Amino acid sequence: MMRRGYVLGSGAMAVALCASLIYLRDPSWLLSTTSGMRGWEVDANGARFRWMGGHASLFVPSSAHTIEIPLRTTFDQPGDWPITVSVSIDDRRADRVVLGDATWHSIVVQMPTPGSRKVRRIDIRLDRTRDDNRGAAVGEVGIR
Amino acid sequence: MLCLLGYLFVYSTGRADRPIRSDGFSYYFYLPSWFLFHDTTLSAVAKDCCGGVYPAYTAIIRWPTTRRWVNAHPIGVALMQAPLFAAAHALTRWTNLSPDGFTLYYQHAAGVSGLLWVVAGMAVLSYTLRRHFSDGVTAATLATMLLGTNLYHYATFDSSYSHPYSFFLFAALLELTERWYERPRQAVSVLVGIVAGLIVLTRHTNAVVLVFFPLYNVNSLAALRERLSVMTHERRLIAIMAAVGVIVVLPQVLIYYQATGRVFVSSYGDLGFNFGSPRLIGVLFSVQKGLFFWCPVLLTSCAGFVWLMRSNNSARAFVVPAILFLAVDTYIIASWWDWQFGGSFGHRGFVDTLPIFAIGMAGCFTSLGSHRQLQSLVTVVIVLAVALNSFQMLQYWNHVLPFSDTTWQQYSGVFLRWR
Repeated sequence: MMRRGYVLGSGAMAVALCASLIYLRDPSWLLSTTSGMRGWEVDANGARFRWMGGHASLFVPSSAHTIEIPLRTTFDQPGDWPITVSVSIDDRRADRVVLGDATWHSIVVQMPTPGSRKVRRIDIRLDRTRDDNRGAAVGEVGIR
Repeated sequence: MLCLLGYLFVYSTGRADRPIRSDGFSYYFYLPSWFLFHDTTLSAVAKDCCGGVYPAYTAIIRWPTTRRWVNAHPIGVALMQAPLFAAAHALTRWTNLSPDGFTLYYQHAAGVSGLLWVVAGMAVLSYTLRRHFSDGVTAATLATMLLGTNLYHYATFDSSYSHPYSFFLFAALLELTERWYERPRQAVSVLVGIVAGLIVLTRHTNAVVLVFFPLYNVNSLAALRERLSVMTHERRLIAIMAAVGVIVVLPQVLIYYQATGRVFVSSYGDLGFNFGSPRLIGVLFSVQKGLFFWCPVLLTSCAGFVWLMRSNNSARAFVVPAILFLAVDTYIIASWWDWQFGGSFGHRGFVDTLPIFAIGMAGCFTSLGSHRQLQSLVTVVIVLAVALNSFQMLQYWNHVLPFSDTTWQQYSGVFLRWR
């Protein structure tokens, strides 16, 4: 009796584990997940943006053909160096841009052929940050 | 289950930011440095997270002579977080989250890890207490410890700090010490060595707790002489224990050497101890962070140690090392330049020592068994103290109580108020 209960319990746990893993393979909540970014702010022109540190990631639907990432940084201190931004899609290098002034720049990235997942990860990396670990302001990402 | 519910409450309601924060960052970040960036100099994580320079709150400094990064916090917590970190990394790859060491699963692996070590510590402590006290006393002691002190807070809200880990290690040291003296064996010697090494790796100043091992059940000079003879007789096992302890601590020594060119380092830089002017009253009784002000149930532990000293209860064996250790530890904590230990609920420096206080508390509860009227009165007082502690913890979570430097005016102004 004990043995049967043990087998049934183990079986139920194995099924729950498999179901969880299948669900977590490609969950839709990733689309609202970001990392490495602070809360939303609005600039003087009404544009929404978030400050990122050295590395931020966000997710887009794999149906997207092109994404556009607005970025800018600050040059408040004398001697502030330009910031090099690298963008990768699912760990593959996609584009690179240098923020050499304080205006908004847009990185437009053609999305490679989608794989088996419904959601793709975009990583943005900077080669330096300013004071208080503020690197670049990231605007609302355009998806086409 | 109660700890898990608290943890879910804290993070699902946004009462705490992500688990890897403040001190929790510097305890944890060895893991991504070593295993994701394959870097023991700690510079790769700085480059990835923060453009090459760690923010000031991390307490990770550049060593003046070598310009290499030195972490004020040692590697013990990271080692104990490693199993859940590995699971989190596998799951991160599976879900395609960014494998940088700081995304969702890594965060909660670090948070849940602390919670699990508190639960493990409670289990070990329960085992030790039951050998000396009744089941009822053991259950009452564990419940009072969890809900009447800041242990629950450090199992949930601030579970990525070092205190949940030290709580387990102290409980394990008490249990293993007793087992070793019951029957000295090689396996137990190795375990004592591992636990002793991890205690040092988790918080260097906690090395003082190792006095428990030689002083367990030493209540007189004659007992001390006999202890020396036992240790001489078992010198092979003592040597194994010491060797294992040294091997466990060795990686930390190598890390310090790599970063500074020195083997022994004050990783806090210029910050240090004021041994000439310890803030003993502040640490024990003040409204800022006083141990007995914020956790009055621990006064029962003091009463319990006095009772145990005079009783025939076998837990008497712990009393002398407990009193010695608690006196020295209090002096060390009170001498630290920031005797409040920064932001915390209650005084977090004493969370590590709660397994020791638990023995005194269980002694106190046992002594009340023969005083019916006093038992009822003490029970009512303890229930009220537990309720007050729980309420104040919720106040702290809701930012009603300040993180540090609480004044009497602030405390009384929000006493029993939600906002």
